[in-house]
Amino acid sequence: MTDSSFAHLKNLPKARQLAGGTPMCAGCGGLQVLHQVLDILGENTVLINAAGCMTLLANYPYTPLRGSWLYTAMASAPAGAQGVRDALDILLERGLPKEQDLTVVVLSGDGAAGGIGLSAASAAIERGLDFIYLVYDNEGYGNTGQQQSASTPHGARTATCRDLRRWKKDLFAIWTAHLPTYAATLIGCEPLDLARKVEKAATMKGPRLLLALAPCPTGWDFDPAETTEIGRLAVRSGIWPLKEYADGRVTHTRAPHDRLPVEDYLSRQGRFRHLFEPQRDAVQLGEIQAAVDTYWNEIRDY
Amino acid sequence: MFRIRFHGRGGQGMKTASRILGSAFFHAGYEVQDAPHYGAERRGAPVSAYVRADRRPIDERGIIRCPDLVVVADESLLAIAARSILAGIDRHSILLIVGHEAAMVWQERLNVPGTVLTLPTDAPRFSGVACAGAAARLVGALGHDAMTEAIGAELAGFGDKAVAEGLTLAEAAWQAMAPHAGCVSEADELPASRHAPPEWIDLPADPVDAATPAIHAGATSAALNTGLWRTLRPVIDHERCNRCWWICSEFCPDSAITVAADGTPQIDYEHCKGCLICVAQCPPHAIRAVPEQGVTP
Repeated sequence: MTDSSFAHLKNLPKARQLAGGTPMCAGCGGLQVLHQVLDILGENTVLINAAGCMTLLANYPYTPLRGSWLYTAMASAPAGAQGVRDALDILLERGLPKEQDLTVVVLSGDGAAGGIGLSAASAAIERGLDFIYLVYDNEGYGNTGQQQSASTPHGARTATCRDLRRWKKDLFAIWTAHLPTYAATLIGCEPLDLARKVEKAATMKGPRLLLALAPCPTGWDFDPAETTEIGRLAVRSGIWPLKEYADGRVTHTRAPHDRLPVEDYLSRQGRFRHLFEPQRDAVQLGEIQAAVDTYWNEIRDY
Repeated sequence: MFRIRFHGRGGQGMKTASRILGSAFFHAGYEVQDAPHYGAERRGAPVSAYVRADRRPIDERGIIRCPDLVVVADESLLAIAARSILAGIDRHSILLIVGHEAAMVWQERLNVPGTVLTLPTDAPRFSGVACAGAAARLVGALGHDAMTEAIGAELAGFGDKAVAEGLTLAEAAWQAMAPHAGCVSEADELPASRHAPPEWIDLPADPVDAATPAIHAGATSAALNTGLWRTLRPVIDHERCNRCWWICSEFCPDSAITVAADGTPQIDYEHCKGCLICVAQCPPHAIRAVPEQGVTP
């Protein structure tokens, strides 16, 4: 990453691509990531939006975007992206100036990305579709009231589960198993790491995944002011590994060497409160800590 | 028929209040409708929910236009959404406002034809249960047990502690409303003439290319004033700000903080939703939160 134009925080873009006035919740971690990603990708971007919280992003006649937006059903955003990419390629062949070409970006929540829309995404990667797949992972179906999704983590309470006993689906691993051009995990509280990855992805062709953890005050039950802090705890506890996949190799970009206990992250969120009250659930907490420890013990690249 | 509307902010529990009151009515043998007003129910945004209850089958549908009781969980909403909150209030209606302002003040300020009552509370975050408890007392048709059983059933999923807290808040509201117990009267069946015609616009069938909604300019959402969602306002102390420029602006999800060339940040109060991430993240603590109440939006 030495050739990145984002050596220092001061290099981050000052101009904002996304206008205010969106109906996203106050403190939305997904919107935070979206503005950071779009500020780097720029105006010549077309978003293909899988149904989810961001369904409400462009509500006729209002849009916060400067570029175009196409809304699709949950299962079909990658198919929509294929259509848009094909149309742009035809226009380029017919003489559309290259500088008017658009970066095709699917915008999807974890419900569509890891569940309902996974099959269409898998097929698009297989076809080598030239697109970026940006996921705001708030670990549940947030727009409809935070029901359990494939991405909901072990131990969490959602509107449809009390104390989930299965592990979060590893979308990064599913994507890299397809051998895409690029895949990376992001988070809004690490804007420099995010900027470098988005910049790198933007220079490439083919299927590229940008998977962002999106702390969700509404669904995870914490104060909206804490969105950035909760994200930082997810990174520092090792729960959310920041990494990238390129040239067939996974590299960790921000490895926490002195990992905080996972409890520091979990105890700040209402969705895990039952692990601490009325009694501390040492067994469950131990399982979650052990899973994180095992992950990092098996990593050799940092 | 009882027609009751709850108004609050997303997160305060207005849907929960309508569920509790609706369940209490149902178990008391009433026919019931309870529902939130579906839309963009976001934390901090104005939301509403309603309850209809009758001994006979209910044929009425949709939003309540002529309420017997209107409960407002957050008095700051009256400054920004008064039109929808006060809609349809007539001489028989009761308006209950949660907050510390006196009932007389609101009666004069709003100049409504109905009776204004107030319910002081120190727990605005969970005012939904308190609103349900107060409403149950005011309608008079429900016993104390009906209220507590409905609260227990509604909050059971959140654990015993939440149920206990909810019952305490509801009990306090129930007691506070004792002087006005049963003051809500059921309005008669609405005559056809009082039903407002539906607010729809007939759209002729256009050809597809003309009928498909298209937005021909970027960033039009700037016309939407999401600053109205705010209950706390972040204020920058420019003396303390060290012009780092990037932190508050970069972390603001709503692009509501711009930075001038010299590094001075400025908050766009038209769009700041009051999440206060900037307050939490500013290294020299140069941004503080002040209550929105009393500040003209």
